[in-house]
Amino acid sequence: MSTSLIRPRLLLALALLGVGAGLSVAAWNGPSDAMLVPRVVLSIWCLVAVLIAVTELVKGAPTVALSFSPLPLLMMAVLAAALAMKHIGFLLPSLPLVALTLWLFRVRRPLPLMLATTLIAGGLWFLFHHVLLIRLPSLLTSGVV
Amino acid sequence: MDVILAAVGDAVAWKVLVAIVVGTWAGIIIGGLPGLGSVVGLTIFLPFTFGMDTIMSMALLIGVYCGSVYGGSITAILINTPGTPQSAATTFDGYPMTQQGRVDEALGWATFASFFGGVLSCVLLIFCAPQLARFAVNFGSIEVFALVCLAMLCIVGVSQGSVLKGLLCGMMGFVFSMVGSDSITGADRFTFGSYALSSGFDLIPVVVGTFALSEVFMRLADRDDKAANIPEASLRFPHPREILRRLIELIRGSFIGSFIGALPGTGAATSAFISYAVAQKLSPRRSRLGKGEPDGIIASESSNNAVTGSSFIPTLALGIPGDVVTAMMMGAMVIHGITPGVRLMVDQAQTVYALFVVLIIVNVAMLVLSKPSIGLFRYLFKLPRGYVMAGIVMFCFIGAVSVRGNPLDAVVAALTGMLAYALRCGGYPLAPLVIGMVLGPQLESSLRRGLLIERGDFLGFFTHSGIATTLFVLIGLFLIWTLWSSLARRRAGPTCRSDLSHSINR
Repeated sequence: MSTSLIRPRLLLALALLGVGAGLSVAAWNGPSDAMLVPRVVLSIWCLVAVLIAVTELVKGAPTVALSFSPLPLLMMAVLAAALAMKHIGFLLPSLPLVALTLWLFRVRRPLPLMLATTLIAGGLWFLFHHVLLIRLPSLLTSGVV
Repeated sequence: MDVILAAVGDAVAWKVLVAIVVGTWAGIIIGGLPGLGSVVGLTIFLPFTFGMDTIMSMALLIGVYCGSVYGGSITAILINTPGTPQSAATTFDGYPMTQQGRVDEALGWATFASFFGGVLSCVLLIFCAPQLARFAVNFGSIEVFALVCLAMLCIVGVSQGSVLKGLLCGMMGFVFSMVGSDSITGADRFTFGSYALSSGFDLIPVVVGTFALSEVFMRLADRDDKAANIPEASLRFPHPREILRRLIELIRGSFIGSFIGALPGTGAATSAFISYAVAQKLSPRRSRLGKGEPDGIIASESSNNAVTGSSFIPTLALGIPGDVVTAMMMGAMVIHGITPGVRLMVDQAQTVYALFVVLIIVNVAMLVLSKPSIGLFRYLFKLPRGYVMAGIVMFCFIGAVSVRGNPLDAVVAALTGMLAYALRCGGYPLAPLVIGMVLGPQLESSLRRGLLIERGDFLGFFTHSGIATTLFVLIGLFLIWTLWSSLARRRAGPTCRSDLSHSINR
C-alpha cells in the first residue's frame, strides 16, 4: 500500500514557518526587556523559513512515495511512554516500550524477547534506581516502584 | 621542590592509582552511554568517596570526569550519537570516517587528541594557573559575547550546502534555550502558562533526542540499508609521522580548550565548537572538514579534554566553578577539606600539586584504558541491533530524567527526537540546533549584560576593551574569509562544492 505525499520538504518548511510565526506572536506580546532577543531571533527564524520555503517551491522537490512503515508506531510509543512516566513511574511504561522496540527491530522469538525486555528495562531501572540511587520517576511515593 | 616531590608521592600511592583506574574506566563507559555524562557519573561516584582520604577521593572523581568527556566521543564516532554534549562536534567528522570504513583511525585520533589536550592543559595548569586566572578575570560580558559570536560562526561551517537550513536549526536551538524563566528579569518566556515549562529545557534531553532517538528512528526507517549496520569498533593509534603532520592542529585545539576552560561559565561543549570553527578557517585540510577529516576530530577532542584541566583554574584559584561539573567537583573538594580560593596555593600547596599530578596520571590512564573500553563497546555493538537500539532508548530516558529529576525531560527528549527525524529527512543539519542551544544562553546573557554596561549602546561593544576589539576584528576577518572562499568555490564550479550536510545528516 503506498500513497503519494505532496512535497514533504515544502510542507516541513511551511510548518517551521508556522511555528516560528506562532512563537513570534507570543514574543511580541510578552515583556519587551525579556523578549528583546527572542524577537530578533524569531524574526530571523521567520525570514529564513520563508526563504527556505520559496527555495523548495522553486526547486520543485520531488514527491515522495510513502509506504507502510512501523516508524510512526515507535514514535507514538516513545512519546506515550515519556508522557506516562510522570504518572506511573519509569518502570511500567519502559517494559512495553522496550518490548515493542525489540519486536520492531526483529527480535521476535518469545524467550529472547521476554528476557531482553526484563533485562534492559527492568535491569537498568533496578541498577539506576535502587543500586546507584539515581532516582527515576516512581509510581509509589515510597519510590519502591 | 620538596612540596612537589611530596605531592608526587601522594599521587602515586597504590590506593590513589587504583582509584584513578576505576574512576577513569567507569567514566569512559558512562560517557559513552548516550545521555549519561559527567554529571551523572559524578553523582554516582560522589557517595563512594565519603570514606576515602582527600587525594584518593579526588582521584576517583577526576578520573570519572576526564573519562566521561573522552567516552562521549566513542559513540559519537560509532553511531553518530554523542554520549555527552561535549562530543557533539566530534560527530561532524567522526561519523563520516566510520561510514568510510575508517572507524579504527577515527577512534585512534579521538583517543590521542583527548590525551594530548588533557596533558597539555595539565602542564599549563601547573605552570600558568595564576597568570591564566588573572587574564580570565579580564573577560567580562562584552568579551564573552564576542567570543560566543566567534563560536557561532561554526554554524556556517557545518551547514555548507544548506546554510539557510543550518541557520534555521541554529535559531531553533537558540529558541529552545529561551524557554522558561528569564535569567535576568525572571519573566516567563514561551511557557504558555504551564508551570512545568517554567524550568526550561535542559541540554541533555535535547541532545539525546536530537542525536540518539532520531538515530534509532532513522535505523528503523532504513533497516534494510546495509550502511545502517553498526560497525565493529576497533582502535588504531596514529603513526608518529601523522601526529607530527597534525601537531599544529593538536596544539591549537589544546590551547583553545585550555583558555576557554579557564573562563568561568563556558565549558567543554562551547570550547569544542569554538575550536572546530577555528579549524574550519585555519586547518590546511579545511576543505575536507565535515567529510571525514581527522583534523575535525582533533579540533573537537583536544579542545574538550583540555577543558578538564583548565576548568580547575577558576575553581581552585578563584573559587569560581565554571559549570555544573566543576561546581560538583568543588563541592566534593569542600567535603574533603580543600577550600578553593586565592589562599589555596599558599595553605594547601601539596594537595593542589598532588591534584595536578593526578590529572596527568588520569590522562595517561585514559590512553591505556581506551583499548579495553572500546573492546567493551565492540562487544556491546556485536549484539543484534534490536538489543542495542532498545538499550539506547532506555539510556536516553534515564539520561533525560536523571539530570534534574524532572519527568517532563523525557517528553522533551521524545519530541526532540521526532523533530530531529523530520529535520534529517528534510535535509537540515542537526549540529547547528545543538550549537544554538549550547551557545544561545551565553550569547543572550552576555549581550544583555553588555548593553546594561554600555547603557544600551551596542556600538560601544566594539571599543569596550582591547580584547573585545581584537575578537570583533577576528570575527570580521572570518566573515570576509568565509564569503571570499564561498565565492571562490562558486567560481571554481560545482564539482568543488562540498555537500557537508549530507555527511552530517547521515
